[in-house]
Amino acid sequence: MDNSDRRTFLGICLAGLGALVAAAVGWPVFRYLAPASSREAAGKVVIPEKEIAEGEAKFFEYAGSSAVLVRKKDGSLVALSAVCTHLGCIVQWQKDKQDFLCPCHAGHYSADGIVTAGPPPKPLPKIPFSVAGGNITVG
Amino acid sequence: MTLLKKIADWIDLRIGAREILKKELTGYLLPRNINAWYSLGSVLLFAFALQVLSGILLLIYYVPDADKAFKSVSHIMNEVPFGWLIRMCHAVGSNMMVLALLLHMLSVLFMGSYKRPRELNWLTGFILFTLVQGISLTGYLLPWSQLSFWATTVATNSANAIPVIGPYLVEFLRGGVLVGPPTLGRFFALHVAVIPAGIAALIGAHLFLLKRTGVSTPPFGQKQTSNPCQGDSYHYEDHPGGIPFFPDYALEDLRAIAIYMACFLAVLFFDPYLFFPKDAFIPANPFVTPAHIKPEWYFLANYQTLKIFPNELIGLSLQGAAMTFLALLPFIDRGPERHPLKRPLFLACSVGGLLLWIGLSIWGHFS
Repeated sequence: MDNSDRRTFLGICLAGLGALVAAAVGWPVFRYLAPASSREAAGKVVIPEKEIAEGEAKFFEYAGSSAVLVRKKDGSLVALSAVCTHLGCIVQWQKDKQDFLCPCHAGHYSADGIVTAGPPPKPLPKIPFSVAGGNITVG
Repeated sequence: MTLLKKIADWIDLRIGAREILKKELTGYLLPRNINAWYSLGSVLLFAFALQVLSGILLLIYYVPDADKAFKSVSHIMNEVPFGWLIRMCHAVGSNMMVLALLLHMLSVLFMGSYKRPRELNWLTGFILFTLVQGISLTGYLLPWSQLSFWATTVATNSANAIPVIGPYLVEFLRGGVLVGPPTLGRFFALHVAVIPAGIAALIGAHLFLLKRTGVSTPPFGQKQTSNPCQGDSYHYEDHPGGIPFFPDYALEDLRAIAIYMACFLAVLFFDPYLFFPKDAFIPANPFVTPAHIKPEWYFLANYQTLKIFPNELIGLSLQGAAMTFLALLPFIDRGPERHPLKRPLFLACSVGGLLLWIGLSIWGHFS
């Protein structure tokens, strides 16, 4: 083995060792900094049915993000993500117009989360829920 | 590789980077008889960087509020992934850094490297030593445990012995009559902002002075061991024919850092609670003083001195005198000789002082 081969071999060993040390330091630091929401599975949220009157909306925290439950004028319920699909602001419920407005760039959504005006590219994602014994269970 | 070379050429063309690298790395020559003790400076830089990094990471989850501090530290230790590792790195690292700092100072002391023209190097180093003690003391309170609370009560109370202004000084330090939430706010600000900035600035000054005076030649393995500096004009101590800093001595530094890390990781993984008495795991209770509250190992000699002298003022004055003597040593010990065996008075005093310090620390530990 000549000197240049030895040099290359040692260089590769050193680089390998360096990569191992970097991984041994980097992985704990990455895990330490990783957001808590990605570590925890999304739990269920229970809201009493009587808390939401007809034509009203209730905002709550769900899976580390914001969500909203709407009881439409016809009495049916909808659970949606409250995060605007344009740039991530939280939409506001406009009771008089029975729709959602995103105050950041004037995006409008219907009570079902469908885009009716403005820049949002997609409707608000729907969240599954069930109603039993006077309680609404979201998730 | 060619892309990297192109980038390097591009930078070099603009700022002459290769010239700086040559001057500061391969062209920076060190004495041929340089020894491993000279690596302790690099070890300390590394240890300080590790403290800064782990400290910044702890700041993400730590809450400097008396009602939440202990809970937040428990949360870091038990719930945040690898939180225990980051916290233990910071706690063990602080103790190891003090140990490395003491060894660095001892090596400078025994090799007479503090002598003319390096008085300022010693002085900045000594201030760094007191700042490291300060950052350790302020950091000790932050977990808001029984140990933190009562060790800080005792430490801040020492200032009471200073005539006239003592009681006001204690109140000023604590932000109130007793240690409490205002003390935590003050100590937190000192620990994470004021003292680290001071340490960083002084490290800069210390390195600048090192660059301006040049590395001192060790007094070992040489016929002529007296100080070459006459002191009549500025003189940079160069070492023609010496060994280059890079790659030769950089590898020595790397080896010293590896040994330091081996000791550090050995404590971290095999005896992580070496520096944690049981009171460190109990939340602070201002109404219950635990028995036998003691400071960190490097303050045990100070603690025992205060216990020996019934008059607190005498105990404090003695410590102050010893610290002042050490700080001003280059201006007191002005003889040209640097070899420790050719300085019997120095050797007797320093070994005696060291044994006294160790003896007081052991006595303090078992008292």
